[in-house]
Amino acid sequence: MFGTLKRKWNKKHLTDERFAFLFDETSNDEVVVFDCETTGLNPKKDELISIGAVKIKGNKILTNEAIHIYVQQKKQISHESITIHQIRHCDLEDAVPIEEAIEKFLYFIGNRTLAGYFLEFDVAMINKYIKPMYGIALPNRQEEVSAIYYDKKIATIPQGHIDLKFNTILKDLDLPTLQAHDALNDAVMTAMIYLKLKHVKRIRNVRRE
Amino acid sequence: MIALFDTLKNNLPFSLLDDAAFEQIEENSQIAYYPRETVIISEEASPKCVYLIIKGTVEAKNAEELIDIYHTNDVFGAIELIKDAPSAYQYIVSEELICYELATETFLTLCMNNQTFKTYFFSSIVERMELIKEKKDYARTADMMVARIDENILHAACIVDADTAIVEALAKLEESRAVALIVKNEYGYGIVTDADLRYYILHKEEDELSKISQLQSYPVISVEEETLLFNVLLTMTEHNIKHLPVMDDKEDLVGVLELTDLLSYLSNQTHFISVQMERAETVDEVIEASRRIEIMVGVLHEKGVKSRYVAKMVSEVHKKMYAKLFALIFPKSWHKRCTLLLLGSEGRGEQILRTDQDNAIVFENGFEPEEKEAVLLHFIETLDKIGFPRCPGNVMIINPKWAKSLDAYKEDIRHWISTPSADGMMDMAIVYDTYAVAGNIDLFKEMRSYLLDKIKEHKEFLSYFARSIESFESPLGLFSRFITSEKNHKNEIDIKKGALFALIHGVRALSLEYGIKKTNTTQRIKELNELGYMNQEDARDLLETLEVINTIRLHAQLEKLQQEEEIDNYICLTTLGKLERDTLKEALKTVEQFKKRVSYHFHLSMVS
Repeated sequence: MFGTLKRKWNKKHLTDERFAFLFDETSNDEVVVFDCETTGLNPKKDELISIGAVKIKGNKILTNEAIHIYVQQKKQISHESITIHQIRHCDLEDAVPIEEAIEKFLYFIGNRTLAGYFLEFDVAMINKYIKPMYGIALPNRQEEVSAIYYDKKIATIPQGHIDLKFNTILKDLDLPTLQAHDALNDAVMTAMIYLKLKHVKRIRNVRRE
Repeated sequence: MIALFDTLKNNLPFSLLDDAAFEQIEENSQIAYYPRETVIISEEASPKCVYLIIKGTVEAKNAEELIDIYHTNDVFGAIELIKDAPSAYQYIVSEELICYELATETFLTLCMNNQTFKTYFFSSIVERMELIKEKKDYARTADMMVARIDENILHAACIVDADTAIVEALAKLEESRAVALIVKNEYGYGIVTDADLRYYILHKEEDELSKISQLQSYPVISVEEETLLFNVLLTMTEHNIKHLPVMDDKEDLVGVLELTDLLSYLSNQTHFISVQMERAETVDEVIEASRRIEIMVGVLHEKGVKSRYVAKMVSEVHKKMYAKLFALIFPKSWHKRCTLLLLGSEGRGEQILRTDQDNAIVFENGFEPEEKEAVLLHFIETLDKIGFPRCPGNVMIINPKWAKSLDAYKEDIRHWISTPSADGMMDMAIVYDTYAVAGNIDLFKEMRSYLLDKIKEHKEFLSYFARSIESFESPLGLFSRFITSEKNHKNEIDIKKGALFALIHGVRALSLEYGIKKTNTTQRIKELNELGYMNQEDARDLLETLEVINTIRLHAQLEKLQQEEEIDNYICLTTLGKLERDTLKEALKTVEQFKKRVSYHFHLSMVS
């Protein structure tokens, strides 16, 4: 109930009616998995570099409809984050202004449930931009894949320590790891984790070697 | 670009596509997840799209009978879509599946735009094998060894029509100074060489020969312009022909290649390392030259040269290396009084990568130099430096067992034969594979004759000797599935235990019976064919099998070498393409048949 209230409160602050669809009741079975690359890990200070997002429908990842948006940078990207994301300035040639990126993203996600790995951060990053722009925070339902993983894993090792590192999860679920680390590839990998987790009841404890 | 698609680029048949095609693929495919037991394509149904496996396994079944298994990077559904026919099988997930689903229309467009891509799905195993090799284009060093046919060594072709009178055609040949006559028929070419002219002179009356087409060999055996010279050589020796027309990709004649030209061309280029070895004046220079061998092996393999040629070449260079080391390390006073022997795989000329050093030395009876131990150790240490791991079985000249007088060896041989034991059999196998590389070869010849004579006197020994071909089970089980049960080697098979050993040892046992002096397995098989033990077809099958196994093994070993892992005989099945797996299965089946044949030959079921 508190959730609905908060939702209403949020909607009341919406300043741009074009995005009212974000608040529509979720009726379809689609989920959007997304990932952001940023200049750092502090949503307040750091800037968005790119967003990668794919839809999941039923048992399929709709890679053919995936989006990968690069955002124009005001500041020079630090050397540190260049090495982390391997994004160079020349990769940003197709980049769009932040407003356009956010709009495109919102149209893409619609009222769908959002999923991601460490989703809280990515959502905070988006909220940082849409609050001043449209007065709201993302109202979409959210699913954290590491939490789903944790729940299924804890069933097999109740007292155990559960490693929630991204690569550990991929490995444990026997999924392919991609060499490239950009927003889209991370979103695709996260989507595979999500799909697989939705289909397995529990994760076997000891992996076959 | 989604990086998952990148792996596709490295796998046939997608490696045949260009970037534009990949963009199309990316825009028109989705990733799907299916739990076990999902039926993806039902029998009699048409596939909804083409499926490319990212992870998991799918089985094709026909009324509960397993037809085929598809793994990572394999494609299914494609053939049915191209043929526009319903599936004859049921495709069912046997291990949780993640796959791409490529839209039918896109796939068919790709097929339409790229014939090679399309025909891949219908190509035979042999054709695919060629594609695999061709696609591995590495440009590390432009070694001349891997040259392809170039026009400079071709002779101009003298072409005549099929109904040209023989004498007229010959006049034209004479005038053009060509090496052979090419006869143009309605469909394809024929060839007339000097041998045919001999036939003409002897038989022209009785056979009423008048037109050139009556003399020709038709259809002519030819090669394409881009073929590797090494493989051209193979074609020529296999068919025992001296002239080979070369065609371009439109099947038009480019010229005629003559065997002598090819041989001189190859010998000029191939002996580069050998020359370096021969010219070496110090041990260090020998070591330096040896280092090049491994690089060359990698290049040759990647360029698609058959592994038996790679082995042959490496073995030639190694022989030169050993001879040189012998000359440099062993005192002059020894040279005529001992023989340096190579044993095991090195003796058979089959060691491509340095897996271990197997060597022995025979001394003249009564020759006991004082500095013996120090010299022998120096030799072994030099091999260490070059990078030959020591022999785990201690078959090395620093072991007194493998450094003794001719009489002592004879005594060993007599003992192995008269009182058969497991160790004796192994030593016997090692000694029979011996190649005398340097020193007084007569000492070795005497030792070998002694061995072969003793065998002739004790034929019953051979059954015991052959028995070890049955020591290891085939890694191929029911329904031609691979059996991979070893704990630390999931999805891997030991190709040496599983196939190579039985093949080599079976051939060895038969050769011993026939008194064959050659040590190389390929040559032994050829001799067994010449001596009448097996017909040409069986021999060729066996040779091809050996080639397939060695190629796959070499490939795995080179990969391990590159990743600085220990070189062993395990082959990872998941990294093999479907085609390579199928070829390997065929090879394993041939080995099993051969085992049965050898077992029957030596009445192995009667000795136990």
